[in-house]
Amino acid sequence: MTFSEQFPIVVNALNGGFLQTLKLFFVTLIGAIPLGLIISFGSMSRFKPLSYFTKIVVWIIRGTPLMIQLLIIYFMPGLVGEYNIWGGGESGRFAAASVAFIFNYSCYFSEIYRGGIQGVPKGQEEAGLVLGMTKSQIFFKVKLLQMIKRIVPPMSNEIITLVKDTSLSRIIALQEVIWAGQSFMKGNMGIAGVIWPLFFTAVYYLIFNGILTVLLGRLERKLEYFR
Amino acid sequence: MKRRVLSVLLCAGMAVSLLAGCGSGNSGKDSESDKAYVQDKGTLVVGITNFEPMDYKDESGEWIGFDADLAKKFAESLGVEAEFVEIDWDNKIMELDGKTIDCVWNGMTLTPEVTSSMDCTDAYLNNAQVVVVPKEVADQYQDEESLADLNFAAEAGSAGEEELEARGLNVTPVTAQADALMEVAAGTSDAAVIDLLMAAAMIGDGTNYADLTYTVHLNNEEYGVGFRQGSDLPDELNSFFASCYEDGSIQELAETYGVQAALVEE
Amino acid sequence: MAILEVQHISKSFGNTEVLKDISFSLEKGKVLSMIGSSGSGKTTLLRCLNFLEQPDGGVIRVNGETLFDAADPQTRQESEIRKKRLHFGLVFQSFNLFPQYTALQNVMLAKELLEKEKPDYKARKKEIHEQIEQEAKMLLDQMGLSDRVSNYPHQLSGGQCQRVAIARALALKPDILCFDEPTSALDPELTGEVLKVIKGLADQETTMIIVTHEMAFARDVSSQVIFMDDGCIMEQGTPEEVFGNPKEERTKQFLSRYTKG
Repeated sequence: MTFSEQFPIVVNALNGGFLQTLKLFFVTLIGAIPLGLIISFGSMSRFKPLSYFTKIVVWIIRGTPLMIQLLIIYFMPGLVGEYNIWGGGESGRFAAASVAFIFNYSCYFSEIYRGGIQGVPKGQEEAGLVLGMTKSQIFFKVKLLQMIKRIVPPMSNEIITLVKDTSLSRIIALQEVIWAGQSFMKGNMGIAGVIWPLFFTAVYYLIFNGILTVLLGRLERKLEYFR
Repeated sequence: MKRRVLSVLLCAGMAVSLLAGCGSGNSGKDSESDKAYVQDKGTLVVGITNFEPMDYKDESGEWIGFDADLAKKFAESLGVEAEFVEIDWDNKIMELDGKTIDCVWNGMTLTPEVTSSMDCTDAYLNNAQVVVVPKEVADQYQDEESLADLNFAAEAGSAGEEELEARGLNVTPVTAQADALMEVAAGTSDAAVIDLLMAAAMIGDGTNYADLTYTVHLNNEEYGVGFRQGSDLPDELNSFFASCYEDGSIQELAETYGVQAALVEE
Repeated sequence: MAILEVQHISKSFGNTEVLKDISFSLEKGKVLSMIGSSGSGKTTLLRCLNFLEQPDGGVIRVNGETLFDAADPQTRQESEIRKKRLHFGLVFQSFNLFPQYTALQNVMLAKELLEKEKPDYKARKKEIHEQIEQEAKMLLDQMGLSDRVSNYPHQLSGGQCQRVAIARALALKPDILCFDEPTSALDPELTGEVLKVIKGLADQETTMIIVTHEMAFARDVSSQVIFMDDGCIMEQGTPEEVFGNPKEERTKQFLSRYTKG
């Protein structure tokens, strides 16, 4: 089969794989952005047992490889318990990967949020209080935007790392784009022993991260109107 | 080997996890039989890789192949659906023990490693490790003695690599059997050692590797289906195989996929 | 009748007594200056009046209404405090303007949030907004900032920022406007413009409490002066009494340091 015959078949398979990559990426963001906020509140809690517990959890999650967390979350229930809670199919693998990624990334996000929240000067809250604002008005009308401005640059870094980290999910055989690329080495759809699809997956990451970089940069610039 | 590293890491994970208390639990010996477990959930989850002609997809995306078709018939006999899941081959035992799949049915060679960690059926297909060389030099390499000066490529950890090392031949380990073929096609290795069934399907006229052929058989081995340890399904499948031999359906299927010569004779 | 009465206020942080039995009163339209060295408790006293700190003991009354009584738990409830704060305005040493809002929006924000809570807000939204905007513009005009309404804080000088902060505090029409060292964070050449604005407010009989290190200004603008030392009111009286003829040794020492320096 010539390259020009292979190309559409490979691109079709890689598109399917990258769709999985994107799904995992967006599900992780949608889950981890709010969960990270809850975890950051936990670690800043004045109730000491809660804050210690949260900090230990964050330490464990940030201190161990995501790849191991994926293996533990996917295989442990069936190995230790009576049933595999995820179901065997592709959807079960996706669910397990989502849980692992959301949990892992929310711990990273929580530390960024904590920096952002604690970085807003105390005077901002006091100024709001003496002007008769409620705590929630102060949070939403005064502090939130200043926090967002502070967290956008470190969040951009994490988000771009996340795009690439999704490839770790192949350890539990989630068929994302790198899996799709590798399949042509072993043999898939009549194409075998072909290496270029694996390297070609880099183009997908590069383009998507390019788009993200532009969008996040735009957001960063939008917040440049104040200091 | 990789599997052992992973299980060590998993044990470490179990130790730090809150589940440490039940860390010694092993799923294999359940009170409930494996057959009842599978029938209860209504699906037989078959762990596979994309491996022509055993398990591969047709144009419509359906899993077909000698193994896939047999698996569907077996599932039918149990009164359940067969569900095919692509797995990472390195993790196959963890997938079984973690109950994320119910069997490994993918042209699996019955090696000591496999039979010690799974409960397997009797062999249903013969396989061999064969030497792959370019057609134009094939005449020179028709017996084992002629192989001494060749540089071989073989999949790391495969039976082929083992056979080569046992004979003291030069071998370069590569990551997949397909890579070994590529080495020969590209001339970076003189010869490769791969599975007979794969060689039959992937090289020769009308394939990507029309200029290659296979000659010497280094050993003979057999394919079987693996289940969790303690499972009652291997026996069930053995008697299912027997009935397929009797009514001729397995011979028919083998011809469909071109593996009739490899079929284990009853 | 005094607009503000403070009786026996005390406050400790851990084992440190920061305020010890503070009592004073202030007449409507008058200006009270508080002087004293750093750490003498002036700022803590202002923060107590604005309910940023809760006193451990004592009573605070405004217009005869008891806003705080340490002995009456009902007055200590968090939910009540918000409304009571509105009797006081506070101008901070470091301005604490909201950086993401323009000068005009800084002045309007709190008033608009208050109006939003009223039942008829939805019906008269536009009208209310225009009224608040007009008042805010007038206040900024009064501060000499009519050409700076759409500037963000980082585009303004320190003196301009502090004048926006004063307008912001005035927008809620507090009974008593408090200043916590309003010129301490400013370059010397910028203090004049802020002091001039405060003097203007004094001339319009705005009731004010000013914590300051500007002795000449305090003497000029106030009708009443309190000298604080180590959490106590060491001496209080008219500017002539405290500056011209201090009775206490501590006061003399403090003032001589400033007049010499």
